[in-house]
Amino acid sequence: MTDATPAEPTSGQTRDLSRARDMIVCEDVSKWYGDFQALDKVSATIKEQEVVVVLGPSGGGKSTWIRCINRLEIHQEGRIVVDDVELTNDLRNIEKVRSEVGMVFQQFNLFPHLRVIDNVSLAPIWVRKKPRAEAEEQAMALLERVGIPEQAHKYPGQLSGGQQQRVAIARALAMEPRIMLFDEVTSALDPEMVKEVLDIMKTLARSGMTMMVVTHEMGFAKEVADRIMFMEEGQIVEVGTPTHFFENPTEDRTKLFLSQIL
Amino acid sequence: MGELSSVTVGDAVLYAPPPETPKLPPREWVKENLFSSPFNSVLTFVTTIILLAVFRGFLSFIFNPVRQWDSTATNMQLFMTRAYPDEQYIRVWFCVAVILILTGVSMAVWRAGSAMPVAGVGHRLLATGALLALLALLAPFSASATVQWLVAALAVAAIGQALRRSAGKGEDERTVSTLTVLVVALAGLVASLWVVPYGHHTYIAKRVPRVLAEPGTVALTTKLPWTIMLLILVAAYFAGRLMRDRLPTNPIRATLLVLWLLAPPVLVYLVLRDPDFDMGHVLGTDLPIFLAYAIGGAALLSWLTRPSTGETGRIVAVLILLVGFCTFLTPMRQVVRIDMLLLAAFALAAPTFAGGPRARKRYAVGWLGVLGMTSWLITSINTPSTVKVPGGFFIGGFTITLMVAIFTIVFSFPLGIALALARTSSMPIFRQLATGFIEIVRGIPLITILIFFSIMVPLFLPRGMHLDEVTAVVIGYVLFSSAYLAENVRGGLQSVTRGQHEAAEAVGMTTAQKTVFIVLPQALRVSIPPLVGHCIGVFKETSLLAIIGVFDVLYIGRIVIPGQTEFMGSTRENVLFVSVIYWIFAYQMSKASQRLERRTGLGER
Repeated sequence: MTDATPAEPTSGQTRDLSRARDMIVCEDVSKWYGDFQALDKVSATIKEQEVVVVLGPSGGGKSTWIRCINRLEIHQEGRIVVDDVELTNDLRNIEKVRSEVGMVFQQFNLFPHLRVIDNVSLAPIWVRKKPRAEAEEQAMALLERVGIPEQAHKYPGQLSGGQQQRVAIARALAMEPRIMLFDEVTSALDPEMVKEVLDIMKTLARSGMTMMVVTHEMGFAKEVADRIMFMEEGQIVEVGTPTHFFENPTEDRTKLFLSQIL
Repeated sequence: MGELSSVTVGDAVLYAPPPETPKLPPREWVKENLFSSPFNSVLTFVTTIILLAVFRGFLSFIFNPVRQWDSTATNMQLFMTRAYPDEQYIRVWFCVAVILILTGVSMAVWRAGSAMPVAGVGHRLLATGALLALLALLAPFSASATVQWLVAALAVAAIGQALRRSAGKGEDERTVSTLTVLVVALAGLVASLWVVPYGHHTYIAKRVPRVLAEPGTVALTTKLPWTIMLLILVAAYFAGRLMRDRLPTNPIRATLLVLWLLAPPVLVYLVLRDPDFDMGHVLGTDLPIFLAYAIGGAALLSWLTRPSTGETGRIVAVLILLVGFCTFLTPMRQVVRIDMLLLAAFALAAPTFAGGPRARKRYAVGWLGVLGMTSWLITSINTPSTVKVPGGFFIGGFTITLMVAIFTIVFSFPLGIALALARTSSMPIFRQLATGFIEIVRGIPLITILIFFSIMVPLFLPRGMHLDEVTAVVIGYVLFSSAYLAENVRGGLQSVTRGQHEAAEAVGMTTAQKTVFIVLPQALRVSIPPLVGHCIGVFKETSLLAIIGVFDVLYIGRIVIPGQTEFMGSTRENVLFVSVIYWIFAYQMSKASQRLERRTGLGER
């Protein structure tokens, strides 16, 4: 699905999502690492098809929060409900949530001993129990969608960083998730490669995927986000549309942060 | 090796190869590397003298006329199979033939062998000729012997030089397959059997040692069989080539792997040992037990591998484990207990292999295969053998060294991996048990374990069960080896980054799937050097079996042959020969390890 006519860059997408269902609901989520509190009563609701960008300084809790949503981290207080499934210690719930939520990491985390096409088709074959031929067909289609079908039979170590991250996106999409989580996916890439990955993410957003993106790319946030959440010291300080956030932020901490990066 | 080609990353060509540094002609090379400074020159001189002196000393030892090398040559049969009776010897040759067939076909199917430039072969022959000439000059030969060796050396060198000349350069460079070179070398060896005089000697068959009437060419018992073996190997290779070209790869490879796994137990316990089955007992007791487990187990596993079974299935699996454990508390046939434990293992693993009808059928077939193999093995181990050999186990020598080494390696590998996974598991009971086991076993010397298992285990066994000494000892060795393997694998497991675990979990894989598909391949790849080193150690430590009275190859070389009346005092020659045998096999393991590392891209990806 390639974008033939690039949309005009607007401040976020002007959509009315008030009647969409809640995909992710967080109520007073708190998490501690030992004595250090990483998340402090985080509450948010993310609607279906919404693109939420989480901004903030390092150590602010953004990655921790996003990893709590697919249970890579375990929260100690509060509730997280993903697509009407509450995240508890029940393994069945965790497996259900993980099959609905796809995640792309900063360090790519591709499986180095498998070829690209096997990386993408492994989970559909063994988790969704698809026949190999069908899974590989789907994998090739996804690789075409992210723009690198010719790399299918190479090993991840032979690809550039941008290509590896695109394979990681294809791998996450192979499980047909309803929500995609992006944890600073362009932070480890060279500037030329950042654009190619961001383009894929923009296309994905416009195709209607619910996305939660932790990033430092302000241009992406302005262009694609429905809402921006600013997190610092484990708390959500401010939430708003890109227009509101970048042009007239209300909180002082937000203004300080924006003055440092813009 | 070869030149650098240009490197591409993604689609971009990064750089063109650097200019090739010219290879130095021999004289220049010597001058630059050996005589570049006064210190280097003196060092070269001194080292050469030392090396030549050592080489000469070594050769003097080997070619000293006082040496009793005929003690080694005449006792070859003893070295290889100890006292296996002559009338049944065809079984040994059958086993060798089966192994050679499997080797030949495997080499064809896995495309072993590569193209080697003829110039390279010529080069090596030239070097060998030079070495032979050096040997001829340094060894304490009589004048005529020296001349003979020099002539041989010159012949070899001449062939080498001729090959180099005819090799052609660049595009016309002629290549020969390494397999052709191997076959030519083997053919040469086999041909020498027909020409070079060896002797023949049997031991133990009669207390008075017997030497064949004709001291000339090798006994009728070996030159013909080895020729046939070579022909079988070559025929198997070509048959394998035919199969590789006509049939799909994966099924053939899978079948070959299964055959390789089946070969050691079948060859040892069916062919070599030839159990004297009591058909009445087999049909009356063993077969019904097998059928009951086979049918009942297959039905149960078919149900358990349905995706819809879920929690109830897991509970049933644990109950079977409990039943299996309880069978040890009441008197019962050992077969029933072991089969129940096997069923429990399969039942517990069933959810991981759940799937559609084809997958379930494959699982049931796997169960039938493993059950059949185990039942048959247990039955044959417990029946007496028709091969009557005085003094314990039915075979000895190198066969038993190989047998113990192969069984130990094959069984301790999965056990070691399981232990390593248990030790790094998040479940406390597994972790504690595994850690306890590993730490206890690592603190006990191997000899103690071997003695314990050979003497004490029969006392612990229930009435009616007989476990012959070597089997008991192999079990002890397997436990010992698995503890060490577990630590090596654990090192590898810890080298897999957390990101890999998270990526697998994020995509929805269960812990078992993550371990099998993502973590273990990477962990084992990294652990290849210590793992193979351990296997080489296991192979050599089989010599400790001598403590229990098993006639392994080192014991025969060290004690048995120097104890024969004609060959008193021939310890050094025989031990040297045994060392060479050990070295050949250990070196092959090392080379296999290097090939494995290259194939899995260790250090590259």
